[in-house]
Amino acid sequence: MNKVIISVLGQDRPGIIAAVSDLIFRQDGNIENVSQTILQSEFSAIFIVSLPRSLSLEQLRAALQAGLEPLGQHIHVKPVLPGTPAYVPAPDREPFVITTRGPDRKGLVARITAVIARYGINVTNLQAVFKGGDAPGDNVMIYEVDIPADVDQKRLRRDLRAEADALDLELSIQHRHIFEALNRI
Amino acid sequence: MLHPQEILTTLDMLRHEHLDVRTVTLGINLFDCARRDPVRACAAIRRKIRDKARHLVAVCDEVGDKYGIPVVNKRIAVSPIAAAAAPLDAEGMLQVAHTLDETAEASQVDFIGGFSALVEKGIAAGDQALMKALPRALAETGRVCASVNVASTRAGINVDAVLRMAEIIKEAAALTADADGLACAKLCVFANIPQDVPFMAGAYLGVGEPDAVINVGVSGPGVVKSAVERALAANPELDLGRISELIKRTAYKVTRVGELIGREVAERLGLRFGVVDLSLAPTPNVGDSVGEIFQSLGLVSIGVPGSTAALALLNDAVKKGGAFASSNVGGLSGAFIPVSEDLNISEAARRGDLGLEKLEALTSVCSVGLDMVALPGDTSVETLAGIIADEMAIGVINKKTTACRLIPVPGKAAGDHARFGGLLGESVILPVNHAAGPNPFIRRGGLIPAPIQSLVN
Repeated sequence: MNKVIISVLGQDRPGIIAAVSDLIFRQDGNIENVSQTILQSEFSAIFIVSLPRSLSLEQLRAALQAGLEPLGQHIHVKPVLPGTPAYVPAPDREPFVITTRGPDRKGLVARITAVIARYGINVTNLQAVFKGGDAPGDNVMIYEVDIPADVDQKRLRRDLRAEADALDLELSIQHRHIFEALNRI
Repeated sequence: MLHPQEILTTLDMLRHEHLDVRTVTLGINLFDCARRDPVRACAAIRRKIRDKARHLVAVCDEVGDKYGIPVVNKRIAVSPIAAAAAPLDAEGMLQVAHTLDETAEASQVDFIGGFSALVEKGIAAGDQALMKALPRALAETGRVCASVNVASTRAGINVDAVLRMAEIIKEAAALTADADGLACAKLCVFANIPQDVPFMAGAYLGVGEPDAVINVGVSGPGVVKSAVERALAANPELDLGRISELIKRTAYKVTRVGELIGREVAERLGLRFGVVDLSLAPTPNVGDSVGEIFQSLGLVSIGVPGSTAALALLNDAVKKGGAFASSNVGGLSGAFIPVSEDLNISEAARRGDLGLEKLEALTSVCSVGLDMVALPGDTSVETLAGIIADEMAIGVINKKTTACRLIPVPGKAAGDHARFGGLLGESVILPVNHAAGPNPFIRRGGLIPAPIQSLVN
């Protein structure tokens, strides 16, 4: 059994997931994980699929391309390599949420994530909640991160705040549990 | 993955609606500090409080930072001093009050509660000494809060104690005449006092509580008001049943914050977590007011007809939401209506929309009682005692907590203005029916018996 990761990108329309999954099914593949989202008018999805050994990567790619190009979708297929992962999360880490709020501008995500990356902190989810519209100054970015226990949080907070101040952003760092406690039963 | 809406509503509550942990209150048992010699008693009290409270403020700040929720006040509540220092005389009690004040300052807490006595059925020697020391204790210290329980549903009303408390309130007011009787703002007279209240001035650590315990008070009138206004903007046809449901859900959220913070503070301090008390406790800031909720519900002002029903709805919905959010809900849990501490309520009193009689009616359905009410300086001891006795009767008969925090402002009359400063706020002085007159009913003293528990109607 081979494992592959397939990404699908293109303009959103009905029938994309039906087409992808039918193509995988016809190749005797099994979908293990899917993440799919729509950003503005664009569809994007990634699938991790297990395939029979007899099927080559090229055969799969050709079948997917043939089936999805008429729908205006671009695909990318890559094997999921067994063995050592490129990154092992720190065993002792806590989930935090960093939010910034303020005017949209170029380089905002780059500068905030540069600080986050410098501390070896992994971003597990990133969302831009609101952009433009009635309040262009009220752009909200949400970074869900795992902070290793050995990170000096005081310094991290200081550095993030300094960056946020320079970008004219309001920034907060809160443990994830506060959002769960408040909103979930 | 968190939903963006979960994050945005949380941030809005914090940034725009004054959501915070109003107080983390460390309860400390002082019964093991009883000594016959006041100097040794004070030393024992100082040692025990310093030891237990050593890391309180630092830990609260750390936990507050971690979750991005400010812990506004850190406080201490101790065993009722009348019992914990029972062998002492009034002079000794006064020394204890000063010790509590100094220790509170050294521990960086703004208030310490528990200069208290429980006298609903009778006044013991320690109670007598504490009550005698009360006016000076309140006038000479800045951080000591006092409470005296004079009535309960199981014991009835100790009218001798009520009368004595009226005298004490007058004396305390006179000793702080230059500050509009400020000492009285730190004294609560209770019926059915809960033994785990984290909020001042009524906080003390009851008998039967652990050696040290963390109780948390969360507030959030601004959060409730905003939730009501948002819902009504989305659907102006919302009926009161739906609004009650909405308040209940909002109370749930706020209570969960308190429990999360309280449990973590307790764990880090190696102490037991006691209760979370969700009380809509206003401050004199716009947007942090219980009175404003009445207006959001559609009343012209707190005090107009419909206000008691609105408060009943509010108080009950808050309790239901809190009880669902945590199995450790205690204290007062409900809505406070402190006149001077709530800008909107204070304004309603100034306009004449809210008077003493309507306030008293409201206290039959609120979570506490006649709170931070400024009265004319010439209100007689007997009239003051009459007001207290009425308030106690409401609590005793309705099996609920009621309390009086009354300030007869020296040298000022009804309609004048009293200023207490800071969180205690300011208020017009309310007119009192028959303020300066005698009251032979109260002078009879004795015990009004405990009410019957059957034939409920």
